[in-house]
Amino acid sequence: MLIEAVIFLPLAAAVLLLAIPKAAAAALKGVALVATLATFGLSLSFVGGAAAGVSDVHPWIGGAVTALYHVRIDAWSVFFVLLTTFVSVPAVWAAFSYGDGARLRGYLILLLAFEWTLLGLFTAGDLLLFYVYWDLMLVPVFLLLAGYADTPQARRAAWGYLLYNGAGGLILLLGVVGVVVGSHTFEVLGHSYAVSIVAERWLFVAFALAFLIKTPVFPFHAWMPATYTYAPPPVVAMVSAIQSKAGLYGLIVFALPLFPHAAAWAAPTLLALAVISIIYGALTALGQSDAKTLVAFSSLSHLGLVILALFSFAKIAVPASVVMIVGHGVIVAALFLLLGFVEERTGTRELAAFGGLAAVAPRLAAFMLIAAMAALGLPGLASFSGEFLIFIGAWQTQPVYTAIALIAVVLASIYMLKLFQGVMHGALREPRPSKDDRLIELKPRELALVAPLVAAMFFIGLWPAWINVRSPASTPAAAAQRVEGRP
Amino acid sequence: MIALPSVNWAVVAPPVVLGAAGLLVMLVDLVSRRALRGWLYLIGIAGCFASFATMLRIAGVSQTTLSGAFATDRFSWMFDALLIFTLAVSLALSALKKAEDGGSPASYAALLVFCTVGGMVMAGATNLIGIFLGIEQLSLALYVLAGTGYPRESSKEAALKYVLLGSLASGFLIYGSALLYGATGSISLADMGAAAASPSPLFVTGLALFFVGIAFKLALSPFHIWTPDVYEGSPIAITAYMAVAVKAATFAVLARFVYTVFAHDSIALVPLWAIAILSMVVGNVGAMRQRNLKRLLAYSSIAQSGYIVVALAGVSTGGLSTMIFYVAAYAFMNLGAFALIALVGDGDEAYADLGAYRGLFFRRPWVAALLALFFMSLAGIPITAGFMGKLYLIFTGLRAGPWGIAMAAALIAGTLVSFYVYFKVIWEMLVREEPEAVGATGNHWIPWIAAVAGAAGTLFLGIAPYAFYALLAYL
Repeated sequence: MLIEAVIFLPLAAAVLLLAIPKAAAAALKGVALVATLATFGLSLSFVGGAAAGVSDVHPWIGGAVTALYHVRIDAWSVFFVLLTTFVSVPAVWAAFSYGDGARLRGYLILLLAFEWTLLGLFTAGDLLLFYVYWDLMLVPVFLLLAGYADTPQARRAAWGYLLYNGAGGLILLLGVVGVVVGSHTFEVLGHSYAVSIVAERWLFVAFALAFLIKTPVFPFHAWMPATYTYAPPPVVAMVSAIQSKAGLYGLIVFALPLFPHAAAWAAPTLLALAVISIIYGALTALGQSDAKTLVAFSSLSHLGLVILALFSFAKIAVPASVVMIVGHGVIVAALFLLLGFVEERTGTRELAAFGGLAAVAPRLAAFMLIAAMAALGLPGLASFSGEFLIFIGAWQTQPVYTAIALIAVVLASIYMLKLFQGVMHGALREPRPSKDDRLIELKPRELALVAPLVAAMFFIGLWPAWINVRSPASTPAAAAQRVEGRP
Repeated sequence: MIALPSVNWAVVAPPVVLGAAGLLVMLVDLVSRRALRGWLYLIGIAGCFASFATMLRIAGVSQTTLSGAFATDRFSWMFDALLIFTLAVSLALSALKKAEDGGSPASYAALLVFCTVGGMVMAGATNLIGIFLGIEQLSLALYVLAGTGYPRESSKEAALKYVLLGSLASGFLIYGSALLYGATGSISLADMGAAAASPSPLFVTGLALFFVGIAFKLALSPFHIWTPDVYEGSPIAITAYMAVAVKAATFAVLARFVYTVFAHDSIALVPLWAIAILSMVVGNVGAMRQRNLKRLLAYSSIAQSGYIVVALAGVSTGGLSTMIFYVAAYAFMNLGAFALIALVGDGDEAYADLGAYRGLFFRRPWVAALLALFFMSLAGIPITAGFMGKLYLIFTGLRAGPWGIAMAAALIAGTLVSFYVYFKVIWEMLVREEPEAVGATGNHWIPWIAAVAGAAGTLFLGIAPYAFYALLAYL
């Protein structure tokens, strides 16, 4: 029952918001924030028992297709659930300053619905439920981009987002149906799927394509720059921090265990794509003048590392990936929210168009500095732990690819410093963003909502073991993979 | 003296009671000097309830009567129920029709009821004569109804196109039936199995002509040319009825025909699979360019017809229940969408244009949200009936050999195209601008009820399909 509470609390809050009049802004905000906080609180209770796992199963559909309603939170999913509930709090809170008030209700409802679909995805215990949420999460993001970003670019970006991810979803559906036609069940969690090697490869390709589009990984990232750049900050924080992990989660939980032989067969291609993503993302980030686009490409680069880890079949691939995933989620959410505050104050995202904010907004500058340092991999902060584990692990099996990927660490320092200096250092541009310099500093609400993210960066950076000892180290299927994946 | 066949009145009661209600509508119009339009529709709706009441007595019964020419079983029962539901919704929506829109309310309501009697005959018919009678009864009344918006030129055009092309299709159908009779020596579908197992050229020719006639009624491509114009020109309540009831009744005929005549998958059915794939392509691609919601839903219905054929793939055991599920899903989402178009238009057909829906989300959030739900269901987004229906169809297709797999693949590809089609409407509703066509302020309670019923059905089938199957098993 507690699992259902975690999954459906955001949805229940969204429905409750429908009953509150639009004018009652305080009540709307209160319900939304309390709901996300409560969801986070409930999800924390699963950390202790994650090793054993909790699940809930009911009969669901019959007829020509039979499936169970199966949800679970276990070692595989607990940190994805935590990341979702944790990042949703500041995202929903940041949305409070949105727009004219009349549309705040719809905005909050869609954000809460988005949280619900993400939680549903990470707790799905069978392929059908996983697919249902996989497709469903397109809807709130499409609606938010098309209706709540208020720029023509965002409205166009909605199409790129929908059609790319929709195509990925339908490819995944082919794969899911292919598995179920052969195995006669959606309950494939923790099993490998014994079919002919050719069929296994095709099915793996279907799953992997969908997951790579969602993450995204080069060359399937065409939808990403526009979505990340033009989506409102709370939306892009949730998309980049949480939704981008859906594909990686799918690889870890479904694709790799189900198709170990095909994964080994595809590993060279995926490693190459991972390294291209890492380097291409970093180089492209260097050339960006738009702050959000810069962070978008840095995200492409960082998530490429996770693909590198997973397909190096290193012994610590999964725990290292989970540490990296959680770290990246926290950092990228903070960066996008902070850049949102900056854009709110200056009206621009162009790095050339502002500067010197550190002089008038020291707290904003301090948070920005920590987030940027975390993103470039400074030891003691979140990204470092994940990157370090990944490099150590992947080095043992794939030294060449790992060596190339290491270049990205240098590049990350350059673009992140460029971002920070562009925004914070130098002379304050004229005309000043605000007549009163004090208005540029973070407001208490903004400070309070980013602070936990910053705290989490230190926490993960200093105590990554909190995560990786609880992550599953290996499964029978993963072991088979490692043997075959060895060159 | 010819001996009349004995009649089991319980079996034929639903269409008979409904037909009597139709006659009552005409009679009341005759005797009351100043017939209140609303009362006539209400008599029709009361007839729906009466007819459904007689159906309750034969729920779960599997019997034939009239010397085996007319049957009642689970299959026909579900279709009859859907037809009655559609009739009730269409009659209710008809009450919004503006007085100056022409046509006497009495003939209008009575014809709509007689249409449905024809549809119920189709659902229960077990021989070629019954099928033809049902189809003609349905079609002839509908030709007239398509023209009841006649002050508008497009309505006249719709009626003329429909009657000309429809008669041609009936010609194909009756000629095909004649050849089938010639090839098998029987008009009963049950006697055609042997001929279908080793088909003669005569049988194949008859089958082809018969399928052409059916494909026309289903708006399957390449026999769909009439559809967009007729859907656009007809009054909205009639368009809704056409889109749902005609398809449901004709699919009942097609399914009964295929399942009775063919015990297994047959090479003779390949043309049917081919036109299903073509329909998915033509319907979805054609819908991309449409800016009138009635035309858009017309192309959508072409594609959806193609999807429903997948249920027959391989003539599998689960196929019939899959078809019933999808037809029910189709009925809920289409009736809901048409009800909302009627609501926004408030009796004025001009407001079916997409321009009237710009920014609807911010002006009328509930209307827009429900419309978005129906369009998402048509697109096959999860937790809606459309998704579950498509899932069942894909599985049915994949288990049915190469043609089934091809159809399932076309269904998935068509779905991606349809994302653009349906989300374009949602996208327009989300723009923050004043509408091009100012107005669209209708808020009549009748379409609200229809839309909420449609939404309930759409979500129910999407979230709890097992309950629907439990109902199906109980019958």
